[in-house]
Amino acid sequence: MSLLAADARAFGAAARNQWRVARRYPAQWLSFFFWPILLPGVYVVMGSAMAAGDPRATDAFASRAGTGDVAGFVFVGWSMYMWLSNVLWGPAMAVRMDQLRGTLDAVFLTPSSRLVVLIGPSTYALVPAWINFVVMAVALRVIFGVELAPDALARAALVMAAGIPAMYGIGALVATVVLRVGEIGGVVQLVRGVFTLACGVAFPIVMLPDWARVVAHALPPTYVVADARAVLLAGADLAAIVPDLAMLGLLSAFVCMLAVWAFALVERGARRSGMLSRY
Amino acid sequence: MTAPAVEVTGLVKEFEKGRRTVWQRLRGEPDRRERFEAVAGIDLVVHPGEIFGILGPNGAGKTTTMRMLATLLLPTRGQARVLGIDVVEQPREVRARMGAMLSGERSLYWKLTARENLEYFAALYHVPPRETRARIEGALAGVMLADRADDYVERYSTGMRQRLALARALLPDPPLVILDEPTVGLDPQSARDLRDRVRELRRQGRTVLMTTHYMEEADQLCDRIAIIDHGRIVALDTPAALKRTIRAEQVVRLEIGLADHLEVSRVALLERLGALAEIARANSANGTLALTARCRSARDFVPAAFDAARATGGTVRHVEVVPVSLEDVFIDLTGRALRE
Ligand SMILES: Nc1ncnc2c1ncn2[C@@H]1O[C@H](COP(=O)(O)OP(=O)(O)O)[C@@H](O)[C@H]1O
Ligand SMILES: [Mg+2]
Repeated sequence: MSLLAADARAFGAAARNQWRVARRYPAQWLSFFFWPILLPGVYVVMGSAMAAGDPRATDAFASRAGTGDVAGFVFVGWSMYMWLSNVLWGPAMAVRMDQLRGTLDAVFLTPSSRLVVLIGPSTYALVPAWINFVVMAVALRVIFGVELAPDALARAALVMAAGIPAMYGIGALVATVVLRVGEIGGVVQLVRGVFTLACGVAFPIVMLPDWARVVAHALPPTYVVADARAVLLAGADLAAIVPDLAMLGLLSAFVCMLAVWAFALVERGARRSGMLSRY
Repeated sequence: MTAPAVEVTGLVKEFEKGRRTVWQRLRGEPDRRERFEAVAGIDLVVHPGEIFGILGPNGAGKTTTMRMLATLLLPTRGQARVLGIDVVEQPREVRARMGAMLSGERSLYWKLTARENLEYFAALYHVPPRETRARIEGALAGVMLADRADDYVERYSTGMRQRLALARALLPDPPLVILDEPTVGLDPQSARDLRDRVRELRRQGRTVLMTTHYMEEADQLCDRIAIIDHGRIVALDTPAALKRTIRAEQVVRLEIGLADHLEVSRVALLERLGALAEIARANSANGTLALTARCRSARDFVPAAFDAARATGGTVRHVEVVPVSLEDVFIDLTGRALRE
């Protein structure tokens, strides 16, 4: 068995292991169904309260957001956000949990690639992420009567899949910082906050000042969120979003290389200071 | 002659004491933290097929040494080779050939069963899929956990978890197994079980390098021992040879209640006893003098000690005659007891 094949198998085993641990905490599954409805629901209700049925308000929104469908805009945005933040948290959470449990040392004692340890366990995070996506589509249809076409949903799924490498790259960077500072809360809040504000999750990015829009276009999630809305709500076909996907690919490659480099650096530092397994 | 299982030369690990604040980092202030050597230049060779013990008190540098050999920690200086492979240059190759049990029970997934734990680690150790099942069954049977394999680890006793951690170390079928204080925190029965498992490893032809701060354990289990203190090896030999360095046949531990004039009677008593045997250690507290004497024959010394106590107004409260132990060797080398 070649080294690569063995690492691939270890990667699968890491995902399965995380799934087995998650199985022992069944209550968390409630949140996978609860938040994707409640959180965006609040924004939609606020929005319709402010518009007060005035068609001019709806037109004003449409001119800024590219769609007059407020519920669709908000729900798709939040569903993307949940998806992104799940993937984003994943690696850092997995590393930190291993640190806290005391299993990180044992895992690092094996000949598997560090990338297996870093990314493998958190691929499990894709499961709740896809559940979120489905819950979003069902909620839009049942509660707000917004129908998303099956082929549009398929295109949105493709957009999400295209975002995976970039998000895992950023997730690995976050995990690297967590390994370095030995603490997760602050780091994730910061990254999450930036993405919520800058990537057009809850409001159209045209509302941002110019400089912030430049930042937004350097962040991979911006493209995922915008393209998911384009295909789901504005009926865009694949050709229309190819430039965005190409940009996403470019950013992904950059972020992943940065993550691998930073992780190697931090791991070496931790091996020098003996702080690899701190609690 | 095959390569040594472990070969360490001039191994040093420096750590920083204290901390450096974020403020100091931001201002780019020079790092003024004091450095100290947790491992201060160790040389040792572990031969294939032996159980080699590193014996030393808490803080002696045992764990630091093991973590360097296990590639979790980078040495500051010096060289370490495991099965002929350099731990700094080829860490992955070292990890693939070595079984290590460092932090014991905490290093397991308590929310999973023993079998699930081993399945995960078998994959991480790159055990070929076709062999995985047999390897896991073998490892479980080897630590006598086969009948509890499908129980959650959270329901295990400490001793069982420790054995499971050992089973995991055996997954790569390693020629070398390193164990950091494998019996610490175990009840006597579980500790005995674990020592039996370690002997079994030697029977299977594996090399074992282990640390301990229990001198009885080192004595019973190890073929050779390095005694380590403050990061340095102070003696290295077989247990029997180490004990032969103490030129006495027997060790007598005495507790004597002193007469009222504490200091006077203590000095007088020590003087008399010193003429009869070599006094290795003497401590007095609350009017009681506890001392360890080494002598040719306890049969001659003990009655003489009773006479000496009576003559200075003291009473013997406790007498214990024991054979020379590694504890005495440690005291001889460092002036301190292992447990202090
Ligand atoms: N990561 C670390 N940073 C700073 N000092 C450390 C670190 N790890 C261990 N030490 C110090 O190194 C010394 C040796 O520790 P250790 O190897 O754990 O001893 P032992 O295992 O023999 O009890 C101790 O003084 C300990 O406080
Ligand atoms: Mg230790």
